[in-house]
Amino acid sequence: MSQVTGAQSLVNSLEAAGVDVMFGIPGGAILPAYDPIFDSKIRHILVRHEQGAGHAATGYAQVTGRVGVCIATSGPGATNLVTPLADAAMDSVPMVAITGQVPSLAIGTDAFQEADIRGITMPFAKHNYLITDPADIPRAIAEAFHIASTGRPGPVLVDIAKDALQKMTDFKYPTSVNLKGYQPRLEPNAQAIADAAALITQSSKPIFYVGGGVIKADAHRELLEIANLLGAPVVTTLMARGAFPDSHPLHLGMPGMHGTVAAVTALQKADLLITLGARFDDRVTGKLSTFAQNAKVIHCDVDPAEIHKNRFADVPVIGDLKHTLQALIPELRAALKKHQPDLSEWLRQMNSLKSSYPLGYDQPADGSLSPQYVIERLGKISGPDTIFTSGVGQHQMWAAQFISYENPRTWLNSGGLGTMGYAVPAAMGAKVGAPDTTVWAIDGDGCFQMTNQELVTCALNNIPVKIAIINNESLGMVRQWQTLFYEGRYSNTSLDSKRVPNFPMLAEAMGCVGLSCERPEDVDATIEKAMSINDQPVVVDFRVHRDAMVWPMVAAGTSNDDIMIARETAPDWDSQEL
Amino acid sequence: MAQHTLEVLVENSPGVLARVAGLFSRRAYNIERLTVGPTANPEVSQMDIVVSVEGHALEQVIAQLDKLINVISIKEIKQESAPEVHDTQPDYQN
Repeated sequence: MSQVTGAQSLVNSLEAAGVDVMFGIPGGAILPAYDPIFDSKIRHILVRHEQGAGHAATGYAQVTGRVGVCIATSGPGATNLVTPLADAAMDSVPMVAITGQVPSLAIGTDAFQEADIRGITMPFAKHNYLITDPADIPRAIAEAFHIASTGRPGPVLVDIAKDALQKMTDFKYPTSVNLKGYQPRLEPNAQAIADAAALITQSSKPIFYVGGGVIKADAHRELLEIANLLGAPVVTTLMARGAFPDSHPLHLGMPGMHGTVAAVTALQKADLLITLGARFDDRVTGKLSTFAQNAKVIHCDVDPAEIHKNRFADVPVIGDLKHTLQALIPELRAALKKHQPDLSEWLRQMNSLKSSYPLGYDQPADGSLSPQYVIERLGKISGPDTIFTSGVGQHQMWAAQFISYENPRTWLNSGGLGTMGYAVPAAMGAKVGAPDTTVWAIDGDGCFQMTNQELVTCALNNIPVKIAIINNESLGMVRQWQTLFYEGRYSNTSLDSKRVPNFPMLAEAMGCVGLSCERPEDVDATIEKAMSINDQPVVVDFRVHRDAMVWPMVAAGTSNDDIMIARETAPDWDSQEL
Repeated sequence: MAQHTLEVLVENSPGVLARVAGLFSRRAYNIERLTVGPTANPEVSQMDIVVSVEGHALEQVIAQLDKLINVISIKEIKQESAPEVHDTQPDYQN
């Protein structure tokens, strides 16, 4: 066998793992790897900041279902990946990050650009490696891709010392991966499936509480089948938007802090939560001790550690969700033949809530632009095949509320970590993964100023994403909390100006088309103009009303029973028979 | 709070102690005692961990420990009775 450098072995390993694109920036410690990258068939996209590389890898992964790859050098290159790695961990995104490390003999000496990235990422990476022997590179890469993409997906970091990249080694890619301490259980226990089916038929108020795991497991078709089979209502969490069609009559919308009255209340009043790939996050449950107090819980998840973590599960079902639903559907069908529960009263009540309390918003009295209107029109005009990404804050919630999602993998956002600045680089990665699909990033003006440098990358690499800046010259969600909970004392949430920076000019400077819009009557034409440009990234500066708020709202730490539909306005519970 | 003794077999790889200790720290589990030693297999080390937790929290500790790739198996050592084995896929079925 002819010998190759560790760097060549790394690139050969990435090719063998099926990588077709990676996002990164070179630097001293990773430099040996960039020489064989120059000749590789893998497309390397040179980003402008490592955080952009990380979120682009996430965007690519979420759209394609494949492992996203990013690469950076040691020290600051690696630490700039920390936020995307933590983000991928919280949202269970399959991702492999490659970082250069200082030469092995320099490790521990506070060498130039040294940072213990393995130690730094240990708390949240699904796993990580520090490689100092070039012979270990192929095995580490094979294991990293296996770990990232199986079981509950997550980020894996492979840190490689510079001398391991430079030394000569034999390249042999492992044909199989065998990890004694990692064997995700994919097949659900048959007894658990039987117990789940039995519990469902005994329930008169069941609800499907659907999380992002359904999308990760590609189990949306099975979800549609089981929901139609049982005829029970469905709620989709922020991470699960698109897992079940918004247009489906059984869909009550999104639950949680900014969920619909129907979705939040249905969870509260249900007698059974059929929990699919969701994790009882505090943004969904509100005050945990008051969450769905009368409900039994079936908890289906591939991660055993989610069972009983926040909420006791009466029937835990550990396994891949697709396998789980494929086993549960025939079991439930047989059980329903023996006993078909009558869900009509339950459905009637929930549909009454759905029609009494639809999502809505007021148009600003001064005739200025409403952010919700802009987002709603974007969804309508661009249509259900569009991929939307968002940053974090008010615009994210409105994008989750006012766009109708019909397909999985069309809504990408930072749900768990809540990473401002996610939208632009995630859109870049999404567009690379789905080049023939329209990709709109819905971003806030605060978020956009954190990561917009990647528009340069997009402009120069033919990645024609579209960005809608919902410009309210504020850190809007924080401002909303200050309005509600801090007597309107707007400490450091004003970005002061809709004109500085001049977003269209900034966009043009970065090689994009810059548009702006500030009147409701111009919204459709502006969106259509942006839709007509497909050879360049487009940035639209929508200058919107500043005081719009996200409703409904369950204030942090309070009970879901205390949902408000507007300021100091609760739903009229007396008029509802619940 | 009740004390539980866990006998944890781990891969003898660099950083594994930091992974285990870090997990206990960030999930706010109390370690009463922790010892690490070799086993007959040079690739495997044994950690004996005494934790103070109640009820389902012990299952959480075990499940979270199990997620560490370098953790091979976890056994709870019960006083005056046979050890309860938690393999790498703890079974929560009723």
